[in-house]
Amino acid sequence: MRSALKNDQENDQTPIDDLIRSGYAHGFVTPIESDTFPPGLSENTILKISAKKNEPDWVLEWRLKAYRRWLAMEDPEWAHVKHPDIDFQSMSYYSAPKKKESLNSLDEVDPQLLEAYNKLGIPLEEQKALAGAAVDAVFDSVSVATTFRKSLADAGVIFCSMSEAIQKHPQLVQKYMGSVVPYSDNFYAALNAAVFTDGTFVYIPQGVRCPMELSTYFRINEANTGQFERTLIIAEAGSSVSYLEGCTAPMRDENQLHAAVVELVAMDDASIKYSTVQNWYPGDEQGKGGIYNFVTKRGACRGKRSHISWTQVETGSAITWKYPSCLLIGDDSVGEFYSVAVTRGRQQADTGTKMIHIGANTKSTIVSKGISAGHGQNTYRGLVRMSKGAVNARNHTQCDSLLLGDQCAAHTFPYIEVMNPDAEVEHEATTSKISDDQLFYCRQRGISEEDAVSMIVNGFCKEVFKELPMEFAVEAQKLLNLTLEGAVG
Amino acid sequence: MLRINNLHVKIEGKQILNGLDLTVNAGEVHAIMGPNGSGKSTLSHVLAGREGYEVTDGQVLFNAENLLQLSPEQRAHKGVFLAMQYPVELPGVNNMTFIRESINAIRRARGQDEFNTLEFLQLIREKAAQLQLDEKLLKRNVNAGFSGGEKKRNEVLQMAMLEPQLAILDETDSGLDIDALRVIAQGVNSLRSAERSIILVTHYQRLLEYIQPDFVHVLVNGRIVRSGDKQLALTLEQKGYNWIIEEDAA
Amino acid sequence: MKSPVQNAQLQTPQQRQQLQREWFQQLVVGAEVDAEYDPDWLLPLREKALQSISTLPLLNRKQEAWRYNRVDNIFQNSFDPLFDNDLEQKICIEDIGLPAIDSYRLVFINGRIDLSLSELSELPAGVILTGTAEALRTIPDQLMSSFDHLHQPGEQLFTALNTALFNDGVYLHVNQSVTLDRPVEIIYLNNNLTRSEQHVGSMIQTRNIIDLESGASATVIEHFISNNKHEKYFHNNFTDINLADDSRLRHYRIQDESRLAYHLSNVQITQHRRSRYFSTCLAFGGLWSKSAVRVEFQAQQAECDLLGLYTVGDQQLTDFHLDVQHRVPSCRSSEQFKGILYGRGRAVFDGRILVDRQAQHSDAALTNDNLLLVRDAEVNTKPQLEIYADDVKCSHGTTVGRLDPEQLFYMRSRGIAEHSARKMLCQGFATDIIESFELQQLRDYASEKIAHTLNSVESEMEHKNGH
Repeated sequence: MRSALKNDQENDQTPIDDLIRSGYAHGFVTPIESDTFPPGLSENTILKISAKKNEPDWVLEWRLKAYRRWLAMEDPEWAHVKHPDIDFQSMSYYSAPKKKESLNSLDEVDPQLLEAYNKLGIPLEEQKALAGAAVDAVFDSVSVATTFRKSLADAGVIFCSMSEAIQKHPQLVQKYMGSVVPYSDNFYAALNAAVFTDGTFVYIPQGVRCPMELSTYFRINEANTGQFERTLIIAEAGSSVSYLEGCTAPMRDENQLHAAVVELVAMDDASIKYSTVQNWYPGDEQGKGGIYNFVTKRGACRGKRSHISWTQVETGSAITWKYPSCLLIGDDSVGEFYSVAVTRGRQQADTGTKMIHIGANTKSTIVSKGISAGHGQNTYRGLVRMSKGAVNARNHTQCDSLLLGDQCAAHTFPYIEVMNPDAEVEHEATTSKISDDQLFYCRQRGISEEDAVSMIVNGFCKEVFKELPMEFAVEAQKLLNLTLEGAVG
Repeated sequence: MLRINNLHVKIEGKQILNGLDLTVNAGEVHAIMGPNGSGKSTLSHVLAGREGYEVTDGQVLFNAENLLQLSPEQRAHKGVFLAMQYPVELPGVNNMTFIRESINAIRRARGQDEFNTLEFLQLIREKAAQLQLDEKLLKRNVNAGFSGGEKKRNEVLQMAMLEPQLAILDETDSGLDIDALRVIAQGVNSLRSAERSIILVTHYQRLLEYIQPDFVHVLVNGRIVRSGDKQLALTLEQKGYNWIIEEDAA
Repeated sequence: MKSPVQNAQLQTPQQRQQLQREWFQQLVVGAEVDAEYDPDWLLPLREKALQSISTLPLLNRKQEAWRYNRVDNIFQNSFDPLFDNDLEQKICIEDIGLPAIDSYRLVFINGRIDLSLSELSELPAGVILTGTAEALRTIPDQLMSSFDHLHQPGEQLFTALNTALFNDGVYLHVNQSVTLDRPVEIIYLNNNLTRSEQHVGSMIQTRNIIDLESGASATVIEHFISNNKHEKYFHNNFTDINLADDSRLRHYRIQDESRLAYHLSNVQITQHRRSRYFSTCLAFGGLWSKSAVRVEFQAQQAECDLLGLYTVGDQQLTDFHLDVQHRVPSCRSSEQFKGILYGRGRAVFDGRILVDRQAQHSDAALTNDNLLLVRDAEVNTKPQLEIYADDVKCSHGTTVGRLDPEQLFYMRSRGIAEHSARKMLCQGFATDIIESFELQQLRDYASEKIAHTLNSVESEMEHKNGH
C-alpha cells in the first residue's frame, strides 16, 4: 500500500503542474440532482430536517432547545478575523444527492458521485483495494458511502453516518451526543446542534484496536448551502482508533458556511488520533468567495491514561475559526495538538487549542506552525488551564510563525491560567522569515529558489507532519507546496 | 577555465573590487590572500552569484561562458561550488535530504540519472568517513547546532559529493583547530585533479601548509597587486601585508 | 459578615454595572479640585473628562484589559475624594526606611506636594523639577502637549477620572543635552485620611509629566509607600513620559503600598529617534494593584527595556499590562517580568508586542516567568505577538512552575536546610531583575525586601508544618 502511494506521488508530475495552474484543484461542481431545501431558518426548517431523517423525538427536542438558545446568542466577535455579517436566512440548511434512502454498498452509489470523489483524488473503489482504510463520504449534508463495513463490524467497530447511528444505535448517541460540546457551548455549536444534517459516528468497543484507519471526506457541492455535520467518536476502555478527515468545496463567488461539531470521548487507556487536512475553497486572490470554516472540536479524556491527539493541516477556507481542544479529566491523561495553518491571498485563520488540565499528572503538548503569505492573517489563540486538582500536570507549547512577504500578518495570543503550584507550563513563540542567506545557500548548492522555499517550509512544518499517518503526510506536504506555489518570490 | 577581466564591483554604492584580473586553468590551485576588507569575500560571493553586488565593469568567463548572467543554481549546475565562511543553518531541513536534493538537482541539470537512495547512501557514508564526519551529523538538520568545525567539514563533504569543476573555499580555515584543519586539508587534497580547479580564499598562510597552492595572489583594495608561488605566502607570513600595501601605494 | 467578594458574586450583571457607574460618579460629585489656577486650555479638558465619566464604557471582564482582574471587587468599596492633610502630623522621611540616596527629592503626602520634605536645592540649570500644580501655574504652555493624547484603551474611565480630578503630581523637564547629575526621587506617602462614615478610604489622584529634550538624560525613582500595612486608600496615578531624540531615561518604580491599598498606574511613554528608556518595576504591596505601561516608538532606532518583579501574597492581586508598539522601523524592545507567588493571591500578566506593517527590522522579545510557592495561588499570563511586518525578530516565552525539586535536593544534600535552599533559589530567580538597578542602594533595598518576604513565608510554613 505504501509503495502504491509512493509511485503515485513520483509519477504524478504533470497533474501537479496542472493543479498549480488551476490554483485550487477541487473547484469543480458536480452536476448531480439533489434534494435541497429552500433558503431560510426557522423552527419549521428544523422540523423538516428532523422529519426527513425520520428522527426520534428526543433528537428533535434537543434540536429545538439548541435553536432557541441560539436565537438568544450573539455572533462571537473576539476572533482576530473580519467578515461581513452572515445572513443566516439566505442559506439552505439541507441538501442531499437524490438517491435511495440507504446504501449498502458502493455499487448503489450514484456513478456521478463516485466520479466526483475520484476527481478529488479519493477513489473510493481503489481506496478499498489499496489503502485498506475505511472511508465515509459526506456530500453536502449527507453521508453517501461508507466502505469496509463488514470487516469493521467483525471487529465490533461501528463506523457509520450519524443519521444511521441515530436510527440504529440511539442509546449510544443519546448518551454521548452533546456531552462534550453541549448545544449551549457557543454560537456556532448551538446552530449546528439545531440544524446538523449528518456526520460520522464511530464506536470502538472495549479493548479493540481499530483494524484500519477510518476516514471521512467532506464535500460541499451545492450552492448556497451551509454544511453542518456532527462527528462523534467514542473509544471505550483500552481501545484505540486513528481517524482522518479531508474537506473540499467548489469555487464559488459567495461565501459558504461550514459549522461542524466534533466530539471525542476516550475512556481508560483509550487512544484517539484525529487528523484533519482541511482544504475548503479559500476564495480567490482578492478574497471573493470561499468557505467560512467555523468549527467546534473537543475531546474529553475521561478515562485514566487516556490519550487524544489532534493533528491539523489547514490550508483552505476563507476564514478558519477552530480550536480543537482536550479536557484532560482522567489522571495521567494526555492531550496533544499539532497544527500547520497556512493563510495566503486574503485568507484569515484564528486557530489554536484549549488544554484544560483537570486530573493529576495530565500532560499536554502544543505545536503550532503558522505560515502567512500574500495578505494572509494568521492567528494562534490558545488556552492552557491548570486547575486546582491538576497536580504535577505539564504543558509545553511551541508556537512558530513564518512570514512570507511583507503584506501578511502573524499573531500569537496564548492564555495561560495556572492554579496549581505543582503544575508546570512552558510557552515559547517565535516569528521568522526565510532569510536571503538561506535561499542563497540552497541555490549555491544547485537547488532552485522554489524548491528551496518548499524545503524550508516543509522543514518548518516537520514536527507536525510527522504526527500524520504516512499517506496523509505525503498528501499534506503536496498540498502545502501547492498552496504556497507562487506565494514567494 | 575561469577568466576574470577588469572586474569592478560595488556594494551599496561602495566600490569593493577595482579592476580585478585572474585566470585559473584546469587542475590549478590558486590562493587568494589579503588583509581584512580587501574584497576577498566579495570575490567569492560574486563568483557564486550572491545578490546585492553590483558589477559595474569587467567580465567573468567560466569555460568561455558569461558567468555573471547565470543564477546561483545555474552556476552550481555548471560546476561552481562555494564553501562558505559562515554556512547558514536550515532549521527543520535534514542534512541528508538537503545534500541528496542538491546532488540530484545538479545531476538532473546535467542530464544525468538521479542517484537512487542506496547509491546515495553508500556514497555519502564513504565521503563522510573520509572526512571523519560523525554520521549523526548527516541525520541532523543542516548546520543547525553544528560546531564551527562541524560546519566546515559539512561544507567540504558537500564539495566532495557534488564534485565541482571550480571549488572556491572562502576562509575555510577560520575557526578551526589544527586537527580539524588537517582533516579538511586532506579532504580538499583528495579532490585535486587535472580537471578540477580550486580557489582558496584565506587570510593566513597556515592553510597553505596543508594545501599547497600553485599560485598565490595578494588582493589589496579590490585588485590583485602581486602574484607568485607559495614562497609569496611565506613572505607574507613573515612580513605581514603592510609592505605590499605601501609598495602598491608608492 | 459577608466579604465584598461574595457580595459581587451575588449581584446581577445589571446591578454590578450600575454600582460601577455610581462609583465613578460619586467620586466626581464629591471631589474638590483646586482649579482656580488651571490654565485656560485645561478647563475644557477637565470638563470633558468630567462629562465622560457618565458616558464612557464600563469596565468588564470581557475586555482584555480587565479579563483576569476581578474588577467588580473594587466597586464594592467607596472611596472619599475629599480629605485634608493633617498639617500637624510630623513626618520624618528618614524614618520610613527607604534607602539613603543622594538625590533630588519630591515628596507627596496623599497626593499633595510637601515642599518641607522635598529636596530641590542645587538643581542644575536647564532642569525644572516641581509639582504639576505649580508648573500649571507658572509654565502652563509647556504642559499642554502632554494632555494631547489622553485616553489609553481599557483604562479610559480611570484616566478620565484622573484628568478631571488630579490636583498635583510630578513635573520634570530636562533641557537639551542636560544630564541630571543625581537621581530624582519621588516619594508618594499615602494614608487613609477619610473621616466620612460611608467611605472605606481616601481617593488619591496624581498626574506626572516627564519631558526629556533631545540628548537629555535622567534617572527617576518612584516609591509608593504608606505609613503602615493597614491603610486603605486608592491611588490612581497617571504618568506621561516624552523622550526626544537621543534622550535617555532610567525609570525605577517601587510599588510598596499598604497591603489594603488599591493602586492603579498608567505610564505612557512616547519615544523619539535613538531615545532609550530603561525601566524596572517592583510590585510588593497593594491589595489590588494594576500597572499599565505603554511604549510607543515614533521614530527609528529607539530602544526600551522593561523589567519587572512582583511578589504576591495572601489576598493580593497584582496585574501588569505591557503594550509595546513598534510603529516605525528599526526599534528594539525587551520585556522581562518575573513573579513569585508566595500566598493565596493572583498575578496577572499581559504583554503585547505590536509590530506595524512599516516597522521592518524591529527586534522585540518578551519573557514572563512565574514561581508558585503555595497552593491556591493563581497565575494568569498572556504574552502576545501581533506582527504585520515580515523582516522582524520577535519572540516570547513564558513559564509557570515551582522550585525545581532536583535543585532543592542537590542543595539539601550539600547540607543546606530546605527553607534556606528555597529562599536561595527564589533570590536567584529574582537576581537578574534586581541587578538591573544601577544604584547599589536600590539593589540592596530590593534584595532585603524580597528576603524579608521570603523569611516570613518560610517561618509561616514551618509554623503550619509544626501543627
